[in-house]
Amino acid sequence: MNVITRRYALAGARSALVLPAWIIGFSFLGVGSLVRDVGHPIGAAMLSTLMIYAAPAQLILYTALANGGSVVAAAIAVAFSAIRLFPMTLSLMPYLRRPNQSTAELVLLAHPVAATIWIESMRRLPPMEQAGRVPYYAGFAITCTTICVTMTGIGYALVGALPVALAAGLVFIIPIYFTIAMAFGAMRLGDWLAIGLGMALLPVATWAVTSDYDILAGGLVAGTIAYGIDRFRRRRTERVPSGSSDV
Amino acid sequence: MSDALWPYLIVILAGFLPNEAFRVAGALLGRRVNERSEFFTWIRIVAVALLAAVVSKLILAPPAILAAVPLWLRLASVGLGLGSAYVARRSLLVGILVGEAVLITGAWYYGP
Repeated sequence: MNVITRRYALAGARSALVLPAWIIGFSFLGVGSLVRDVGHPIGAAMLSTLMIYAAPAQLILYTALANGGSVVAAAIAVAFSAIRLFPMTLSLMPYLRRPNQSTAELVLLAHPVAATIWIESMRRLPPMEQAGRVPYYAGFAITCTTICVTMTGIGYALVGALPVALAAGLVFIIPIYFTIAMAFGAMRLGDWLAIGLGMALLPVATWAVTSDYDILAGGLVAGTIAYGIDRFRRRRTERVPSGSSDV
Repeated sequence: MSDALWPYLIVILAGFLPNEAFRVAGALLGRRVNERSEFFTWIRIVAVALLAAVVSKLILAPPAILAAVPLWLRLASVGLGLGSAYVARRSLLVGILVGEAVLITGAWYYGP
């Protein structure tokens, strides 16, 4: 490992440890307790975090199983929730690709893509020198994953020991954290509109297409409207000679 | 096949595969995408909107453990968390602590 690689990998690990890894880690305590409710072993709980690494998908999967749903129905619901990982991974790739990169490396780098790593990477990678991005990302991602897998195990072991109110709080870390992180990461009008419309249109989507497809339909429509307005505004400001262009 | 392996198979078949398929697809297509193109801008904004929709769903239709906490309190928890994060000069930690304090107090008050 050369000096730049090591320096950036450590910087990534450090910035994960400062806060994000713990926030997301604490929310995985809730995932661990949920898996235990279903009656699956602790190994499966920890493996689910390592291999799935998407708390909403795990919540959907184990809530469905806890309610006596079939595995096939659960897998379909999980797949719909996972579609958002496609645009996330796609939009991260320009910052993670490098010359002569193997497909295996790209696939490996895509594995930890989920809300936390996507939000933090979209904020931190673009201003960084190109040689530092992949090591920083890897250091950040490996640290987050390690802590999350550990916390899933701890959550599994702790279940029953935690008061219900506290357990409820742990599960609710995710929406609070994502909301704040999305707001901090918003760079342009389109991002703000996407946050607002994405949240506001969800109940409409649930009513229109049932709760199986609401996230996908609501997100796609909200994002496309937000993009359209953003583009319209850009076109108009571009006509003003002094117009400072967006990043 | 023994029943002891079933939970692990569920993780792989119903968890890992459906998630990883979309990540791999994004990685392979992202290899060639131009980050200054309109397509990329659209994809990025749609990703934000999809995440916002997930958050909205977790607030509006939460897992069973949160069902006892009324909707207005769940909304207040996120709203106050976000507000205090900005008041505290963009502090993620302060925002989360405030939101959590509101929610846990409410869950304790309305809980069983």
